[in-house]
Amino acid sequence: MLRSLGKFFLAGAAAAAIAAAVPAQAADDDVKIGLLFDVTGPVANFVPPMLDAAKLAVDQVNAQGGILGGKKLVTVVADTQGSPQVAVDAANKLVNAEKVAAVIGALLSGTTLASAQSVIVPAGVVQISPTATTPVLSNLKDDDWVFRVVPSDSYQGPVLAKMLMDKGITSVALTYANNDYAVGIAETFREAYKKLGGTITADIRHEEKKSSYRTELAQLAKGKPQALVLIAFAGESGVTIVKEALEGAFFTTFIGTDGLRDKLLIDQIGADNLKTAMFTSPSAPPGTPSLEAFEKAYTAAYQTTKDKLFIQQVYDATFIAALAIQKAGSTDRKAIRDALRDVGSPGGEVVGPGDWTKAMHLIAAGKKITYVGAACPCQFDKNGDVAGAIGEFVIEEGSYKQVGVVTP
Amino acid sequence: MMDSSALLDFIGLYLIPGLITGCIYALGAIGVSLLFGILRFAHFAHGDVMTLGGYLALTFVWWLGWPVLAAIPLAMIGTALVAVGLDRAFYRPFRRRPTIISVIASFGVMLMIRSAIQLIWGVEPMQYKAGIERPIILFGQLRLQERHIWMIAITALLVLALHLMLSRSRIGRAMRAVSDEPDLARVTGISTERVILVTWLVGGALAAVAGVFLGMDSKIDSYMGWDMLLPIFAAAILGGIGSPMGAAAGGLVLGLIEELSTYNWIGENPLVPPDYKLGLAFAIMVILLIWRPTGLLRGRQF
Amino acid sequence: MDTGTLLYLISLATMICLYAILTLGLNLQWGFAGLFNAGIAGFFAVGAYTTSILTTPESPDHLGGFSLPIPLGILAGVLLSAVLGYAVARICLRLKSDYLAIATIGIAEILRLVLKNESWMTNGSRGIAEIPRPFEGMAQPWGELCFLLVTAAVVVLLYATIERAWHSPWGRTLRAIRENDEAAEAAGKDVIAYRAQVFTLGSAVMGLAGGLMAHYLKFIGPDATEPILTTFLAWVMLIAGGSGNNRGAVLGAALIWLIWSGTELLTQRLPPDWQTRSSYIRVFLIGLLLQIVLQRFSQGLLPERPPQPKRSESPSKPV
Repeated sequence: MLRSLGKFFLAGAAAAAIAAAVPAQAADDDVKIGLLFDVTGPVANFVPPMLDAAKLAVDQVNAQGGILGGKKLVTVVADTQGSPQVAVDAANKLVNAEKVAAVIGALLSGTTLASAQSVIVPAGVVQISPTATTPVLSNLKDDDWVFRVVPSDSYQGPVLAKMLMDKGITSVALTYANNDYAVGIAETFREAYKKLGGTITADIRHEEKKSSYRTELAQLAKGKPQALVLIAFAGESGVTIVKEALEGAFFTTFIGTDGLRDKLLIDQIGADNLKTAMFTSPSAPPGTPSLEAFEKAYTAAYQTTKDKLFIQQVYDATFIAALAIQKAGSTDRKAIRDALRDVGSPGGEVVGPGDWTKAMHLIAAGKKITYVGAACPCQFDKNGDVAGAIGEFVIEEGSYKQVGVVTP
Repeated sequence: MMDSSALLDFIGLYLIPGLITGCIYALGAIGVSLLFGILRFAHFAHGDVMTLGGYLALTFVWWLGWPVLAAIPLAMIGTALVAVGLDRAFYRPFRRRPTIISVIASFGVMLMIRSAIQLIWGVEPMQYKAGIERPIILFGQLRLQERHIWMIAITALLVLALHLMLSRSRIGRAMRAVSDEPDLARVTGISTERVILVTWLVGGALAAVAGVFLGMDSKIDSYMGWDMLLPIFAAAILGGIGSPMGAAAGGLVLGLIEELSTYNWIGENPLVPPDYKLGLAFAIMVILLIWRPTGLLRGRQF
Repeated sequence: MDTGTLLYLISLATMICLYAILTLGLNLQWGFAGLFNAGIAGFFAVGAYTTSILTTPESPDHLGGFSLPIPLGILAGVLLSAVLGYAVARICLRLKSDYLAIATIGIAEILRLVLKNESWMTNGSRGIAEIPRPFEGMAQPWGELCFLLVTAAVVVLLYATIERAWHSPWGRTLRAIRENDEAAEAAGKDVIAYRAQVFTLGSAVMGLAGGLMAHYLKFIGPDATEPILTTFLAWVMLIAGGSGNNRGAVLGAALIWLIWSGTELLTQRLPPDWQTRSSYIRVFLIGLLLQIVLQRFSQGLLPERPPQPKRSESPSKPV
């Protein structure tokens, strides 16, 4: 009895502490953006550079005069742990306890959908996912609160198919990871490729995190296709598959999407072994300095590679959210949503990564601005989606170089 | 009938990978089995102890510039010591309590080890050696990775050493006694705490090797041991709870079945779709439990 | 207190209630009959997916289109989990307790793998979205409050019913079986049948928790049913709360969920340079706090002794 009373008090004390801690934050004068990221869990590998990318945007804003009249812009991180239950709890912390002005996140489609439906839409706050590619998000009944800066799966698959056919690669083997990212792209790729006349000699879905894919590779290599299309995350299965494919002499040419376009691949396989590899990845529209501007700022700030997954998208989402807040002139959530649509629509004066000072002056002068990002033109359609250009990448001199843009 | 080319393919693509997976399972399962036999609880943090071993080896490789195989003994010692430390801090307080509490404690230890690894080494997957290792080619077609030969040899050596220890040495006999007849063991003056100490040292050391092998064969990341945990439990059950030699056999068998199941035994297609490869370990485990609950090797035999 | 803070506290309370239901279901199996179910994730998943499939509108991505009312969907999930529980019980109950644990893990993992791979039915790794939630048309915070009240009512009802059952003749028989199943067998009681009944009931309650959770999250996918946040968490809640009794189940749910969620409020306060690492520190903290709770507060004074699964000998015999 005594012991359980002890626990009861402990629980009660914890609850009281939480209830007390929460309103204390509301008194802050800073402007808060919530980062609803899957920090631990299935995609933990990707997250640290993404947090850096968000920090870059915030640091640029604060260095160039702050937000909403000199206030400090801060981010609050809440970890979804890769699970929808915790995502809803984390979103609640950000939206209701911390009362952030906007939410960037989540990264996985599942956590994004759960948090969007359970917390974001009822509360009415802007949510911009940098990486959720599920088509379901497009038509979600979300009162226009949910946006994303990455094209839906439905987009990247056909583009990849066209790129291959244009290059004369008419027969491939396809393997894709069993996660929401890869399954979606594989589906649309398969359909489009076959329609264009391509042949898929083998089509295998694989589980991530296994140490041996040799049996899958043996299957895939039958029929002697020209290349292996590998839709997977480098750190989860991509690197292992490429490694075993090369060791077993199954394939020499690899074709991947942005999930594979990770410095990890170059580091662990070696650029020499990837001379014929090709990648598609959402990128800035051709001819804009946005991507370069971002990469320059990122490498300057962190002295580390810019070839990490999705950092451009995270940067774009954070920066455009800041622009929207500034345009709205307050932390009123409805105003921010309207401002986001405004800033993310064409016709205004172009503002790119890092152009905070320029943007502030234009906004103060009442002029319309249009943000063109490092990974997307960031022009939202009626569903809150973006189209985006898909860049074609190869490996040159030990890092990824964009060599063109593929349009469907 | 297989022609020689298909046979070589079979050996290189299915048999040997199966053996490698089997070695990793075996080394992890032995530790789980020992711990279960002597401490009577399922050590859920064992996978993360394996992960720790893999990372310790990585650190030694960085510091000393040695090849990973040379770093293995150091990783074994380090992990063994950590294992003993974990016992002292988190499991010993519950020696006299129902073992379910130790199981729950091990869940918490699992979280602690994993997050500590993420804090210290970060979350980026790593390799002991970058680049592709060109295989040795036999008979014009059979491709063998040098590291695989080492892994099989080292596993065989360790299992043999363990067998000798358990059957010949005094501490080995004491361990068997505590596992089979604990009351009798205590009465005859065997120091249970000494036995427990050795169990953690051995279990931790073997787990470290399993972790290094995992890292060598694919990559080193903070979830790698946890991802192996359930198959390792399955292997321990397969071999008969509390029988380390059985666990070793169980691990090998499970690894082989997992890889061989996707071979196209009948016709053109894999017998088991690669999607369900993971589920096979569990299916075997469940079927075995129902059909032959004492495991492949009878009960508690060393 | 402003709406935001209120909503956050409501969300905490709702999750606590959902986990309390899950843990109460577990305690039916563990407290009443000493059955070690380590496959909670499977029953939870069955309950969740069943109601999701039955209550969502037509979709090209998954089986659906039935658009049944929510209570019916949940009921179906409960029944299906019960059926699964019964099947597992009949097959596995002859096994010694540790083996039962491993068998249930295996079955749960196979089930989850099937749910993940059979995407025609479940949309595989992409999951099922737009699951309806009760009271979602209402303004904030009333919708959330109503859902919380309903869930809390379920907890109270379950608790009362299970306590009542414990003191009933059925419950007494089960206790007798738990104490000494050979004697009970000799006295003419069908031990397996009793155990199967309580296992089935426990599984049904787990299905209920899964169904309610699916409606709360409005989404279900493989990540929502993975073992750490279902099986593992329920066991930790039960044992940390006070092994083997219903009060412990509810208390444990509250304590552990508050630790799980609340630790992040602490680590969020770390300086911005620590932002990348704060999430790992938080998980470490959860593990550490768990050890502290177990070591400082492990019960010994509760009148109800926790059940011992039948084991031959043990160096760590309970005092």
